[in-house]
Amino acid sequence: MRRFYRLLSALGTVRAQRILGWATWLGLLVTAVVALAVVPADADQGDVQRLMYVHVPAAWVAFLSFGVVFLASVGYLKTGRIHWDRIAVSSAEIGVVFCALTIVLGSLWGRPVWGTWWTWDPRLTTTALLLLIYAGYLSLRKVADSPARRARWSAVIGVVGFIDVPIVHMSVVWWRSLHQEPTVLRPGAPTIAGSMLATLLLAFLVFSVAYGYLMAVRLRVGRLEERGAVPVSAPRARRPQPAVAPAGGVTNA
Amino acid sequence: MHDLAYVAAGYVATGVAVGGYRWRLAVRLRRARQYVATATGRGRG
Repeated sequence: MRRFYRLLSALGTVRAQRILGWATWLGLLVTAVVALAVVPADADQGDVQRLMYVHVPAAWVAFLSFGVVFLASVGYLKTGRIHWDRIAVSSAEIGVVFCALTIVLGSLWGRPVWGTWWTWDPRLTTTALLLLIYAGYLSLRKVADSPARRARWSAVIGVVGFIDVPIVHMSVVWWRSLHQEPTVLRPGAPTIAGSMLATLLLAFLVFSVAYGYLMAVRLRVGRLEERGAVPVSAPRARRPQPAVAPAGGVTNA
Repeated sequence: MHDLAYVAAGYVATGVAVGGYRWRLAVRLRRARQYVATATGRGRG
């Protein structure tokens, strides 16, 4: 746990963020070029299968984010130290962005292949539920009336909500689903061609770096917001106000 | 819609999601720095 926190803290330096930033944008560009122009199209689905190189890594980052929320929530419940709460909310925000992106990309892929933008398939439904759980997590933080209570409620949801992650992953195995079964994270060897697998692994790596980058920036924002203002959930009258607040103020997560 | 249009829309959506969130964080970072500077009466946070 301590090592996990040290790793996240190391991302907080300006130098680390600059390196991660360049690696992210360059990596995304290279991934797009390889996925769109280098790797061959799928024999059955044609070009639309190229969406796999963004859809699957986006889902991976959502899972990774919610996994970090889970670990940080356990850390908070165990120690009561507020930095775990900051890590959890930062990761939850990123997870919600990537979970929503996963659904949008899946919809764009589903329309030409399945003939529909959306269907109440087990994989799609459990993923939509996952998005709702963590959107609820972020919304709840705005209504809790004290920082300690906010952190405690959030940590409980962060632990309980994570149950849906393995359910999403296993949904295509447990229930009859329109969605294909796992091709990489499955028992036995991956079931896709070598060049496609290599491109997919590159995309996994780049999206993971993007997660690290966004997490580093978000943690910095969180630290500054905590320094500059009492958390937003505290009653307004009790907040110490600066002499002149900037227009718009600061919105704490 | 042609297959490539779905692919293009997907890659654009990915760029918009990552870029948009990064831009949102930049706005929050700038506001937080201003707020800290004002609250503490010092320079940038």
